[in-house]
Amino acid sequence: MSTEIIKTVGVTKCFGALVAVDRVDYSLRENEVAGIIGSNGAGKTTFFNLVTGYYPPDEGSIFYKGRDVTRMTPQQRVALGMTRTFQLTSTFDNLAVIDNLVLVYFRAHRDSTLLKLLLSTCRRHRNEDKIVATLETFDLQHVRDRLVKNLSLGEKRRLEIAMAVLAEPQVLMLDEPLAGLAESEIKVILEVLGRRVGKQTILIVEHKISHVKDFVQRLTVMHEGRVIADGGYEECLSDPEVRRSYWQIDTEQEGSKHAAA
Amino acid sequence: MAAMVNAWRWWWGILLAFFLVGLSRLFLPLPFIIEVLIFSIYTMGCSFLLGRVGFISFGQPAYLAAGAYGTAFYLFYFGSNPYVGILIGILSGLAVSGIVGPLFVRLRSDYFALVNLALAVIIYYLMQKVLAGITKGDNGLWFLTNIASTPVLDLGKPDHFFIFSILVALAIWAFYKYLDDSVFGACCLATKINEDKLKFLGYSNYGVRLLAFVIANTTTALAGAMYAVYLGFVSPEITSPARAADPVVVTILGGTGTLFGPLVGAIAYTGMKDVISKLIGNWELFIGFLLVFIMLAGEKGIWGTLQPWLERLFSRKKASPAAGEGAGARQ
Repeated sequence: MSTEIIKTVGVTKCFGALVAVDRVDYSLRENEVAGIIGSNGAGKTTFFNLVTGYYPPDEGSIFYKGRDVTRMTPQQRVALGMTRTFQLTSTFDNLAVIDNLVLVYFRAHRDSTLLKLLLSTCRRHRNEDKIVATLETFDLQHVRDRLVKNLSLGEKRRLEIAMAVLAEPQVLMLDEPLAGLAESEIKVILEVLGRRVGKQTILIVEHKISHVKDFVQRLTVMHEGRVIADGGYEECLSDPEVRRSYWQIDTEQEGSKHAAA
Repeated sequence: MAAMVNAWRWWWGILLAFFLVGLSRLFLPLPFIIEVLIFSIYTMGCSFLLGRVGFISFGQPAYLAAGAYGTAFYLFYFGSNPYVGILIGILSGLAVSGIVGPLFVRLRSDYFALVNLALAVIIYYLMQKVLAGITKGDNGLWFLTNIASTPVLDLGKPDHFFIFSILVALAIWAFYKYLDDSVFGACCLATKINEDKLKFLGYSNYGVRLLAFVIANTTTALAGAMYAVYLGFVSPEITSPARAADPVVVTILGGTGTLFGPLVGAIAYTGMKDVISKLIGNWELFIGFLLVFIMLAGEKGIWGTLQPWLERLFSRKKASPAAGEGAGARQ
């Protein structure tokens, strides 16, 4: 039995009168690939933001490998081994693609004290093996020296995921990583992530379940800030509440139609 | 050999610019060139903060005064070696920015601009009124005759001071050019545009901003120390709130965030001040109109507008052209 790497207990977040995340208990085991799905406004991204430290929860606790990280800053959580992407693509648009990767590489694989940042040049790290390999894996070699602001949305999205993968975190947390991508680009990303299955803990928040159904080992469905189902893909999708809230299938009507038939 | 070629590509712009400044000694008055050099060092910190970190500062005279008064106190009360005076000026700037920096860099850019302006006003009144017993108030500290001769470069002699200014300015430019290409420089650009992302990569936005703030304002203090030694006189006028916008104006005039912007801006500003003030009484009015025009023309400033034109003119194809777009992009 693998160990629990992330655990939340009664995590709640309100924005004014809106309860965005409502007493969520959740756990993620080491090397597990889990997905969180739900309709728009279900609280997926807010929950993700709570776990990664973007917001502090109003109530409840978050544990990382048994350690309470509820009040830790994002930097401290990154240092423990969490890395995330954002729902809206988040990169450094005023830097070249290669320098976005250098920043990640430097933080993840070098001593990133201010003095070291000052004493190292980007130029020196641009040809590091891991950076070159990441560029190849995500098919970004042809834009390596281009400013990120000049990339297409798909290229930017690939770059953001490449940055997260290059960081080699213990927990890779991806917030709607496939949004806005063409099918060919989705295939590339799922292939890359697929190679990490069993070697890394991955948590994916995704709106479209079809993209991740073959990939995730466990699915959690959220609705109106609550977890309404948690388990295998088939198990979750056959859950009446999931069918009603996520698929908007009225199970009673469906049942009476079957009875009438 | 390849390393030498790369080094030459890296340096040729800076060397050429300073060669031209040196050459200008033949046909321009010495005080004008020295003022341009010191003003460009003064503006360099402001340009770095605005262009790299996204902080606009209307309080640069505060750090200029820290350097100038640090040097002036030493040369007026304690000693006579101008180099020691300049070193004390630099340390004064380092101390002031080290003390206020941890508080100021936590602020948003608009509040940052105002709190720096407030600091300049505080220092102005401290020097003019509160500490008038030691600063001699509006009369200022006069210490030109206290400055001792020094071997090799005697800073008491204008020609020697000019050489010293060129060497210091060249060193400052080289340092900022290096900063642009450093991982720290990339972090500065990153925190300017996407602090959330930088935070979630595990970097400290606060630490990056604080170091940038201290570096920029210590550079400004160096300019203040050089002013003090060059003029042999310092008064509260150096930190006058009326002059608070000067480095910002020169930064925008030259081209925000560009390496040569401060030099070009300082030449344009000092030149206009000298030429136009002889023709028109209120020369600042002309600068104001020019600034409005430059902003409306695309915020690129003089260097930002000239650069693509010059690149086409020389059409030097770099080995990795687009790499220059990135962290080391400032030219």
